[in-house]
Amino acid sequence: MQAIAKPDKSAIFKNKVKTWFSQPQNIILLLFGIVLTFSTVAPIIAIVKDTFSIHPGTIDQHLTKKVSGYTIVNYIDLFTSRLARANLWTPLLNTVILSVLTCIISILFGGLFAFLVTRTDMKFKKYLSSIFIFPYIMPQWTLAVVWQHMFYSNKVTGTSDGLLAAIFHVYFPNWWCQGVFPSAMVLGLHYAPFAYILIGGIFKNMDANLEEAATILDTPKWKIMFKVTLPMIKPAILSTILLVFGSAMGSYPVPHYLNLTTLSTKYISMNSTYTGEASILAIIMMVFGVLILGMNQMSLKSRKNYTTVTGKSGQLTKLTIGKMGKYIVGIVFILITFFTSIWPIVLFALETFLPNPGDYSFLYTGNLAHLTTKWWVTNENVTENGMYGQSGILYNNTIWHAFFGTLFLAVVCALIAGTIGTLIGYAVAKKRRSKWANYVNNVAFLPYLMPSIAVGAAFFILFSNEHINLFNTYTLLIIAGVVKYIPFASRSSLNSMLQISNELEEAAVIMDTPWIKRMTRIIIPIQKSSIISGYLLPFMTCLRELSLFLLLCTQGFILSTTLDYFDEMGLYAFSSAINLILIVTILVFNTLVNKLTGASLDSGIGGK
Amino acid sequence: MKKKVLSAILTFTMVVTALAGCGNTAANTAPAGDQAAPAADAPADTAADSAAPAAELTGIDAIIAEAETMTMEELAAKAIEESNGKTFYGVGNSSRGKSALPLFIEYLQSIDSSYSMEFEWQQPKNNKIFEQLTSDSLKSEGTFAMTLIQDGNQIQSKMVDTDILKTFIPKEWAEANNTSADSYEGFLPLQTLNKVFMYNSTGSATYNNCWDFVYDGAHPLFMGVDSEIVGKNFLMMLTEDKYATWLKEAYDKLDDTKKAYFEPTIKAMQADANDLGLGANGAYALAWIKLWVNSYNEQTDDGPICNTLVDASAKDQAGLLVYSKLRSVEESATVSVNNIKVAAYEDGYTGIGGYGYCHYLFLTKNSPLPWTSCAFIAFMTCTEQGFEAWGKDMGGYSSNPKVAEEIEATFHHSQGGGDEFPAKNDRGYDWWTTNGELILEDPVYCSEVSFSVGSWIDVLDHYTPGE
Repeated sequence: MQAIAKPDKSAIFKNKVKTWFSQPQNIILLLFGIVLTFSTVAPIIAIVKDTFSIHPGTIDQHLTKKVSGYTIVNYIDLFTSRLARANLWTPLLNTVILSVLTCIISILFGGLFAFLVTRTDMKFKKYLSSIFIFPYIMPQWTLAVVWQHMFYSNKVTGTSDGLLAAIFHVYFPNWWCQGVFPSAMVLGLHYAPFAYILIGGIFKNMDANLEEAATILDTPKWKIMFKVTLPMIKPAILSTILLVFGSAMGSYPVPHYLNLTTLSTKYISMNSTYTGEASILAIIMMVFGVLILGMNQMSLKSRKNYTTVTGKSGQLTKLTIGKMGKYIVGIVFILITFFTSIWPIVLFALETFLPNPGDYSFLYTGNLAHLTTKWWVTNENVTENGMYGQSGILYNNTIWHAFFGTLFLAVVCALIAGTIGTLIGYAVAKKRRSKWANYVNNVAFLPYLMPSIAVGAAFFILFSNEHINLFNTYTLLIIAGVVKYIPFASRSSLNSMLQISNELEEAAVIMDTPWIKRMTRIIIPIQKSSIISGYLLPFMTCLRELSLFLLLCTQGFILSTTLDYFDEMGLYAFSSAINLILIVTILVFNTLVNKLTGASLDSGIGGK
Repeated sequence: MKKKVLSAILTFTMVVTALAGCGNTAANTAPAGDQAAPAADAPADTAADSAAPAAELTGIDAIIAEAETMTMEELAAKAIEESNGKTFYGVGNSSRGKSALPLFIEYLQSIDSSYSMEFEWQQPKNNKIFEQLTSDSLKSEGTFAMTLIQDGNQIQSKMVDTDILKTFIPKEWAEANNTSADSYEGFLPLQTLNKVFMYNSTGSATYNNCWDFVYDGAHPLFMGVDSEIVGKNFLMMLTEDKYATWLKEAYDKLDDTKKAYFEPTIKAMQADANDLGLGANGAYALAWIKLWVNSYNEQTDDGPICNTLVDASAKDQAGLLVYSKLRSVEESATVSVNNIKVAAYEDGYTGIGGYGYCHYLFLTKNSPLPWTSCAFIAFMTCTEQGFEAWGKDMGGYSSNPKVAEEIEATFHHSQGGGDEFPAKNDRGYDWWTTNGELILEDPVYCSEVSFSVGSWIDVLDHYTPGE
């Protein structure tokens, strides 16, 4: 009998470990799993802790008669005091209504536009596709300010007359001017490009044979739409809801400017006297983020059902909307996008030449002498003539310092978030059945679903203590930005990596090609467009992000806080100029990337 | 299943950490004993500290005590010695600290031409200045050397009661105010700013009494008590006996129709006034506050309020805003300073004309450059050049009478609008605080009533346009 040699368990273990570490995806998942757990969970813990802390000079000190320590009095007071309705329930209800309405508006507007661009023979697609994403490029509250300038009136809102009231004596009702409707409209328009890109992507690639089969079977068009087309874009609609709901919930500036009390605005207003209770509001917003993550999981499961149905037929037939119809619909959308995309820019440009903020007297009088260049060319510190001690835009150090600071921040955030997100997407795609990979994927995505204002608050609390105080530093902004924007890149990367067959990389492995070379020569070139989107989206979002950074730095540090400062001060010429600078910057970068790499935000839908 | 695992991990981690935090409480917060003293006790402790003989003081307190006996020149010499070649970090509610610092450096360079100092001036938003100073105070040596800060209520309860900020009284400032550092009580104000009632006069509405701003149908523009806490301090101050009496006196001068309109509200407030322990005229104050909160039209800032009021289309609209905003209006076809009137300047106007609040100056308790901070504070409060960043505009009044005189002699704010724009002829601090019936913020009173009157204000309904 031949003796069977006992296996050396430690050698096997060592071998397993060696094999495990020889796979880069394992290292990526292990490393980022730990880092992201900390970067996501630590701020949550910090803010949870803050809800129990006693803050001197606030309600918890008054109620506990203590100047330090921990208590649950903030919870009791928030949920049960006379102010519970004003401080919690009404803002919560408003927030949910705002988020739901924003989702509906963005999906209807963006989805309809996506359908027209991808599935019909509508004219002017290339122009419309480019112009449609403008509201997403602009900081969201600037549309709110434009709304004020257009529709406010002394008669209804008790302010000076806006353009329509002053010129045409048209007075819009208050529900149109302030509150939930205009807030939802502004946010809906701002996020409609999300719906356009996501739904458009599916419309563009969906299998037309299914609809054709239904047509051959003499199925009515409405039935095809509801039984075939809509179910196929359901995952994209769900994705849009997931992305837009959390973003709308965490929006501070739009409801602030349009006079709607939400959890975000309440967080800011309560922070001075009800500090601990404000942190509970942030926790509530975060809970919504976790709930949305759960919904996302469910939608992912259901999405599988649909993706198995599709198979590219390459016979995408376009609905004919008539010889005249294709022009009429195109022109209608040119008009609509003029008011959502071009008109705000025209107003921004005009504003920088008005003698006083919002003073359109040159329009009423027809006298161009009422325009001025003082907002651009004043080269001294004067307080008269509306300058409030500010130098003109061209000479304003605050604006230009903030501009370069923002550029630096956006570039660094995009590079780090884009790279980490791409690696995570790659690793998760490789280990798609692993629970750990799924955890890393979720923990990376969670910050995106948490309202920005709550994430900002959490990072502020985490990094303002006796050991470390990073307030008003680029380090803090970069950390917050990276954590918040990794999901852009990780999702974009994951979706594209899942499309790549393993055999491609396996062939390279057999050839003993190093991992770096496999990535740079095979994987990245194949999915270049999606990966670049993973860098572009954080860059663009970071450039005009306010809610996330509002609590982390002073005004003048970055452009969005500077813009908000000028808007709040009523110095619309400066804020408008900053808007123009932002829009031009984003367009320049988008064009550059487009020229260099062929990728752009709306590429693949109607942009190209 | 996966989401359950994730949720469980997150929940477990949060709960464990929160509980761990609770567990550490007793051990971590020992220094102040059981720290169960009511807030009202804290100022007494602080006062006791500052009253201690200079010889017993240590650290920053000793430096302040010594600095309070020194002249501007002596402080400047100390500052040069301490901060030459260093960076000075300041934080404040006013952006003009940034304008004052280069002038201060110039002044020091006039004494020692080799002197140089870098500086950074931060202006946080949304009340973050208090959190920023609190977290900075936890370090052994802070980042911020000093601060210029508003909102007496929060300063008292969050900064002074907690010993985070230290008051330094410059010798020359004390002398100019006929006091001394030892006998002066309170914070050191750089200046008083006033927010005054104005109304658009292109229509037919008249505002002859401060009660007219809360009369039926009036919806004055105001920043709102939540967005700027000094506005809430103003409302709380109205309940102090002196100012409640002013409101009662103004009420007495109303005609019978208006009295009949306000009377039910005043009567309804009597019980609340008793509950809150207010004086004899407390009900008048509460009635005015209730009607004000029920009716003001909230705006994001005084800038947009000013832009609105000076526009011809804002007929009959009123507002309560920083007086100095008028300086920045450019005349055009539809916009003019003459489209508004400052209520208190009008003949026959009765009652409060607005409210005043201060920008206060403090050293941080762990100031990295205490001598330089003292010198800078003395420079701003005791020299015309130091106050010029604020003094060049109307509506900001130096707390140093000598500096105020010099500023007026240089800039002639009392004639700033001439005959053409009478609303811009600033009548000055003395007029506003007497004839103008300006309500002045008292930090101690505000912090005392912050959670009695303050909480009462919090539950009042706010006006929404269109309702």
